[in-house]
Amino acid sequence: MGTSSVAVPARGRRGSELWARLLASPWLLLAPAAIALAAVAAYPLIYGVRASFHAYRYGRDVGSAGLENYRAIFEDHTFWTALGTTAKYVALAVSIETLLGLGLALLVASQLRFSRFIRVSLVLPMTVAPVVVGVIWRLMYASDIGVVNPLFSALGLGKPNVLANPGSAFLGVVAVDVWEWTPLLFLIILAGLQSLPQEPIEAARVDGAGPVRVFFDHTLPLLRPVLMVAVVLRLIDAVGTFDQIFVLTKGGPGTATQLISTYSYNTAFQFTQYGRGMAMVVSLLVLVLLLTIVAIKLMRNAAARTSS
Amino acid sequence: MSRERALAVARVAVLGVAIVVALFPFWWMLVTSLKQPVDIFRGVSLVPQHPTGDNYSRLFGDYHMGSFLVNSLIVVTVSVAVSLVLGTLAAYALARFRLRFGLNQSALVAALLVRTLPPILLVIPLYLTLTKYGLLNTRLGLIVIYGGLNTSFVIWMMQSFLEEIPKDIEEAAMVDGDSRLRALFRVVLPLAAPGIAATAIFSVITTYNDFLLALTLTSTPAAQTVPVGVSTLIGKIQIEWGPMAAAGVVGALPIMIFAIIVQRHFVRGLTFGAVK
Repeated sequence: MGTSSVAVPARGRRGSELWARLLASPWLLLAPAAIALAAVAAYPLIYGVRASFHAYRYGRDVGSAGLENYRAIFEDHTFWTALGTTAKYVALAVSIETLLGLGLALLVASQLRFSRFIRVSLVLPMTVAPVVVGVIWRLMYASDIGVVNPLFSALGLGKPNVLANPGSAFLGVVAVDVWEWTPLLFLIILAGLQSLPQEPIEAARVDGAGPVRVFFDHTLPLLRPVLMVAVVLRLIDAVGTFDQIFVLTKGGPGTATQLISTYSYNTAFQFTQYGRGMAMVVSLLVLVLLLTIVAIKLMRNAAARTSS
Repeated sequence: MSRERALAVARVAVLGVAIVVALFPFWWMLVTSLKQPVDIFRGVSLVPQHPTGDNYSRLFGDYHMGSFLVNSLIVVTVSVAVSLVLGTLAAYALARFRLRFGLNQSALVAALLVRTLPPILLVIPLYLTLTKYGLLNTRLGLIVIYGGLNTSFVIWMMQSFLEEIPKDIEEAAMVDGDSRLRALFRVVLPLAAPGIAATAIFSVITTYNDFLLALTLTSTPAAQTVPVGVSTLIGKIQIEWGPMAAAGVVGALPIMIFAIIVQRHFVRGLTFGAVK
């Protein structure tokens, strides 16, 4: 950006001009941030991948172990169970959240009068720390002091003791995820709906199309880009879910709610098997990346087909 | 006509249920935190029968909540300030200069990638690194890590806000004799103030709420933050429901207030400016 300093009247010595020029260079503006990101993200990432090929004994790096860590987790039943549970958890939670978020957004979009109050109250669950969400639902689910047991028995459904049984514990933590994150989908979809062009939708309505037709033929296709952003963001986040599980069940009972995140955390920090813990997380990441690539390919194909 | 009426009623009913489901759990936590132990165990009651502040005084007396709050205050303030400075400078460079090799786009993508990395991926190497440098269980260690990680978010947000400010304004200032850096601080940043405020509040929310990194990198009330402090109340053999609920309330309150202030910018913050 040499031209900018030409306009500056020569002020002081040459040195200070050079200094001003240097300060205005984009590279200098970028450097501090780049160094920070390299130090806390790129370096740990590389270090972590390297650690997954190393053996740790009593928490100490005792040298390269080749693929030993990966072989070990490959033969570890608990790892596969945790991987399956993570997949089920993410798929179930995110699809419920998307449907509920879409439904609520469609309800509110046309009702601007209430939407400010409604918006704030519906959004609160996702603003507080996931740990607090965990505390809230410990208090709701607790078999002795909670609300969920009395509510179910009042409806004649017995006492579920949600977090005590494997099946209900899994559904219980999924429900907490839905409670916390439906607002995210709701908010983004609502913003998308409110910025849609109204003409095609109005035109279809005038032509006598019913609300369901209008939704599937016009609203949904127009909304798709926003919907994709919302779902992808939520998916990425959901894969790494840790905090609520840690507070609610610590992965139990048994391994009913054990996700890769909690299992690798235990492996690394309870059993000081840093290399093996890292191998689990790296495998998860590779898997997610592959899935993302496949998903993007599929979406491109679908988009090409509908536009041709 | 009556069909439309029925629809309107159904709509209000659904929204009513949604709001109750969203808000009731908060109410239950608040009520539990104000109850005496006997009343906590005496079945469901939606208001405290004999309201008491005991749980809160025990939380601060026996459970170090004061230290957790101080730690969070220091760590969050300093790290967010650092990341705002680093991130805004970089965002300005990306918004105003066309860099070689198409670096503008790849820098933004890199920032987004850092932001979306799950903490579980970074926590093991960060723990090992901090151990090596003796920064485990220090506020400084947390500040460095949060400050660095949050820079990615600031770059992304501020780039989108700065791009909306017309170039002519600072060019006029530069014609008047300001250096580019002076023009940035004197003209551009004041115009971007609402964007900076929104970015700062979002950064405060995510930094304050982080659990996994703080859980792993700190181990005593000398450095533990609020979420970690809250979780230590659960680790006990017999759960102390009253103080635990009180801890949840104290942990949630500051962030709820911030969230209500910034709710106009929520969508933008959540989607990195992709949806406005």
